[in-house]
Amino acid sequence: MARVAFDLPLRANLSALDNIALIPLYQRHYSADEAARQAHALLAQLGHAGIASLRDPDLTPAQRFVTQLARALMLKRPRLVIDRPGATLYDVPYPGFIRQLAAQTDTPGTWEIYDFSWNQPLYSE
Amino acid sequence: MNFLAASIESLGAKIVGGLNVGYGLFALLTEAVLALLDRNTWNRATFDVVIKQVYFTAVQILPVFLTYALVISWLIISIILTTARDFGLTEFASEMTIRVLVLELLPFLTALYIALRSGSAMNTEIALMQVNNELDALAHCKVPPMQLEFLPRLIGGVVSVVALATLAGLLALLMAYLAIYGLNPAGFDPFTRTLAKIFDFRIVAGLFFKCALFGLAVTLIPITAGLETPKKLFMVPVSVLRGMMRVFFAIVVIEVVSLALKYI
Repeated sequence: MARVAFDLPLRANLSALDNIALIPLYQRHYSADEAARQAHALLAQLGHAGIASLRDPDLTPAQRFVTQLARALMLKRPRLVIDRPGATLYDVPYPGFIRQLAAQTDTPGTWEIYDFSWNQPLYSE
Repeated sequence: MNFLAASIESLGAKIVGGLNVGYGLFALLTEAVLALLDRNTWNRATFDVVIKQVYFTAVQILPVFLTYALVISWLIISIILTTARDFGLTEFASEMTIRVLVLELLPFLTALYIALRSGSAMNTEIALMQVNNELDALAHCKVPPMQLEFLPRLIGGVVSVVALATLAGLLALLMAYLAIYGLNPAGFDPFTRTLAKIFDFRIVAGLFFKCALFGLAVTLIPITAGLETPKKLFMVPVSVLRGMMRVFFAIVVIEVVSLALKYI
């Protein structure tokens, strides 16, 4: 299971691209160039190629979420759990934003969102 | 009676705390050595991070460090030469300069310099990573923190202290020659004879080992102190304070033990 959660932050002194590229670099032992290419392709697929060089403190909450999501997708695990997205995505109407991101990806596996029950009405809008 | 019990309790707590710190250092060092010996550690990614660490710790500070070494060496050489002349001991000036500067003072000051510049930064960064859950996030992504964060810093610290102390020592030797003999090549023979007399294998190996220990102390201790930080932001300065005090204590102990082994 791959998790996207507020308590699994990005590595603050690395760029968004480097945070994602760490996975192919250390897990699959790709070269630095190939790992960066894969990370860039994933960010582009999510429609956020422009944030590649930004570090965590320079990202907006939505951009930070996209980077965390890309990192989780890069893990290529069969289950993706988004844990309390409101904690990270406080600057956008997040159910729609996550739906839009999900539509842009073609990764296999399921996406599950765990949120507080009082946020349930947001998902039916 | 209560006072006695409280004193014993406080002493016991201090001893247990000290043992815990020692165990933490030993455990991290063992883990680092095992990672170092593991063939899987040595991929391109780890190598790149090690190179970056050496660059940040040693290469980036080179101009400032060399100026600092130059000024300190020049001052100490001047003091030794003047004193030696006053007491009619000029023939011992070069040996005294080399022993004081190259073998003792410059490695010690190099370790202090790296500890203040890189050790404190390392302690703060690891403490912040610990508080912000960044290490947990790396573990979740199956990116080994030892390979990405700790081992490169340890190697970078050891390589940097050894390299910078060597550079400072060479610079001091050059300064010593110029101060004693000026540009006269006639001094080359006695000077190199003094060098050969001092730098036997035991001394060179001891100097290298001492510098490597300094390098390990200025990286291993701040990393361990950072990892011990409770997950509370206000504890970061306390962690840095404790870490840097331990580094200072370790550097002094290494220097004192090295002096005792050499001269007692």
